[in-house]
Amino acid sequence: MPPLPAPDVTPPALHIEALQVTGRDGQVLLQVPLLDIPAGQSVALRGASGAGKSTLLHVMSGLVRPSAGRVVWGNRDIVPLSEDARAAFRRQTLGLIFQDCHLFEELSAHGNAALISTFAPRITRASLREHAKTWLNTLGLRQTGTRPVSSFSGGERQRIAVARALAASPPVILADEPTAALDRANADTLGSDLVRLASKGGCSLIAVTHDATLAALMTRQITLADGKIVEDSHA
Amino acid sequence: MPDVWANLSPTLQDILLTLALLTPGLIAGALVVRGLHPLPLVGAMLRRFTWVNLLFVALIAVSVGVAVGLLAQERGLRQGSARAAEKFDLIVAAPGSEVTAMLAAVYLQPSDMALITGAQYAEIAGADGVAFAAPIAFGDSHLGAPVVGTTADFVTYLAGPLAEGRMFATAEEAVAGAFSPIAVGQVFSPAHGTGPEAEHEAHADDGYTVTGRMVPTGSPWDRALLDPVEGVWQVHGLANGHPPGDARIGPPFAPDLMPGTPAVLVHATKLWANYALKSQFTRGDLMAFFPGTVLSRLHGLMRDVRSAMSLMAVLTQGLVTLSVLTGLMILVRLIARSLALLRAIGAPLRFVFAVVWTYSATLIGAGAGLGLALGLVTARVISAVITARTDVLVTASLSWPEVHLVAGFVSLTLILALLPGWLTVRRPLLADLRN
Repeated sequence: MPPLPAPDVTPPALHIEALQVTGRDGQVLLQVPLLDIPAGQSVALRGASGAGKSTLLHVMSGLVRPSAGRVVWGNRDIVPLSEDARAAFRRQTLGLIFQDCHLFEELSAHGNAALISTFAPRITRASLREHAKTWLNTLGLRQTGTRPVSSFSGGERQRIAVARALAASPPVILADEPTAALDRANADTLGSDLVRLASKGGCSLIAVTHDATLAALMTRQITLADGKIVEDSHA
Repeated sequence: MPDVWANLSPTLQDILLTLALLTPGLIAGALVVRGLHPLPLVGAMLRRFTWVNLLFVALIAVSVGVAVGLLAQERGLRQGSARAAEKFDLIVAAPGSEVTAMLAAVYLQPSDMALITGAQYAEIAGADGVAFAAPIAFGDSHLGAPVVGTTADFVTYLAGPLAEGRMFATAEEAVAGAFSPIAVGQVFSPAHGTGPEAEHEAHADDGYTVTGRMVPTGSPWDRALLDPVEGVWQVHGLANGHPPGDARIGPPFAPDLMPGTPAVLVHATKLWANYALKSQFTRGDLMAFFPGTVLSRLHGLMRDVRSAMSLMAVLTQGLVTLSVLTGLMILVRLIARSLALLRAIGAPLRFVFAVVWTYSATLIGAGAGLGLALGLVTARVISAVITARTDVLVTASLSWPEVHLVAGFVSLTLILALLPGWLTVRRPLLADLRN
């Protein structure tokens, strides 16, 4: 097996300060006075539905702009950035994994895994496609690269989504319920693969999860309730 | 500058105009996709909603096709009717409506007309500058085809050498038009009159033998049966223009033995002589006119209709453009989740914009291209119907005005297609991602 692509940059630490997210009606959805996640840590965000886990993850990724506070990756606060600058930040720093995969049904597994290559600079496209292929192989999707993804099982589809998130060798992986749609066996395999690959690659991994097995694999567990962090424990 | 433009060939002018019309849309496109590679994703989106996309392309194609077909058809009809009248230099008839006389003598439309007398005919035929003066005597028919009495000179002048057989040589012989419903060698008895009122037994005792067939002329004469004018007079029990016992056919006719003819086609020895002859025979007891001029006047009267049609075509395209824009916005909503994913994983807004624009441009381009082809087919089908109904050969083909219309439409819609792209990058990312 070829060596796995390593992150192109050192994982940045995350520093969140005086964060507040309010809904349209003014209701406070999330309030985080202070949160630090050192580089290379694996963190499970836990809590009941509506606790604010996904909102926190979206704030971290810049998909949601908070009404107040700072979200600093390394030494860069992403809150005041324009949408295009936040997109560039995600492109260069984050690998995102969504609960329901979000695949282009008419593309092959390789086409989906290498999706980022379609808008990457020309000079990096070939290597991104090669990385995507390597990750597909690593995740057990050898010889399936050209099959349309519509013919894949749920577990295979989620692994393609993981390969897509890892294709650009991001220093940080953010995952939203990556195992929620999978059966136990597939969830266990994917969860351990994800933690292993993140650890091996020296990436930070932050995952929203209800899955206790996956959470147990992480080095830190943060629990939220009613939009606030109520517990922060280290393994 | 105007001199430079005027000195260019018409084709070059049309090509330049087409490029000028396309340029705004192409520049917009070039600016949008410059340095980007959206085609693989656009291909995936096109395949994702194949039927919806095909339906959208079909809607554009039909609307473009109808507009293009109408324009091409109108021009084809105008050119066809003009071509059918080309050989009819100067018509002389009894005073009345020039349009009626033209429709009767050139397009063989049934009509009642007063007759030119033998003396008048002799004066016309004997005038300076007249190469030949052919009586055109209509009113009978066979199997729906008009039977027209005339002279051999006229038949040769109208269609050139025969495609088959020989020219009529007696008053009982006839030459068939290229598509007339009778074969060489067959004998037919003309019905008196035309259409449903034709009296089929009126001339049952008389018959013509078809001795030859003309080549196609693209005019209603292709379905006619042409016989010596003497034959027409004879079957109506009239003198045949020659003394009794004289079996000769063709002019000169004895004025007092000539029953009269509704119209005379005059072919002059020189082009300029036509004008002198027209002037000479435009008087109280005669009417002389150029069918081409009358037709031109008719086309002139129809210019308003043509302008209205052109305006309607442009307005239709305007409405279609708005519909395309609305349709694109709906289609873009179908792919909003995929576009949101692109934005979420870090695609630059310009790339997402380029994907939407290229997707729209592909549908518009495919629809417009298909519309041109459909317009050609539409025009040809309508042409075939009109040709079958009027016997005027209408050959509609695509020409530069249609290309300009489509180029303008494509350019405008390509620019308007920027709007869905702009709206897409302003859509709420997370909401689209969750939907």
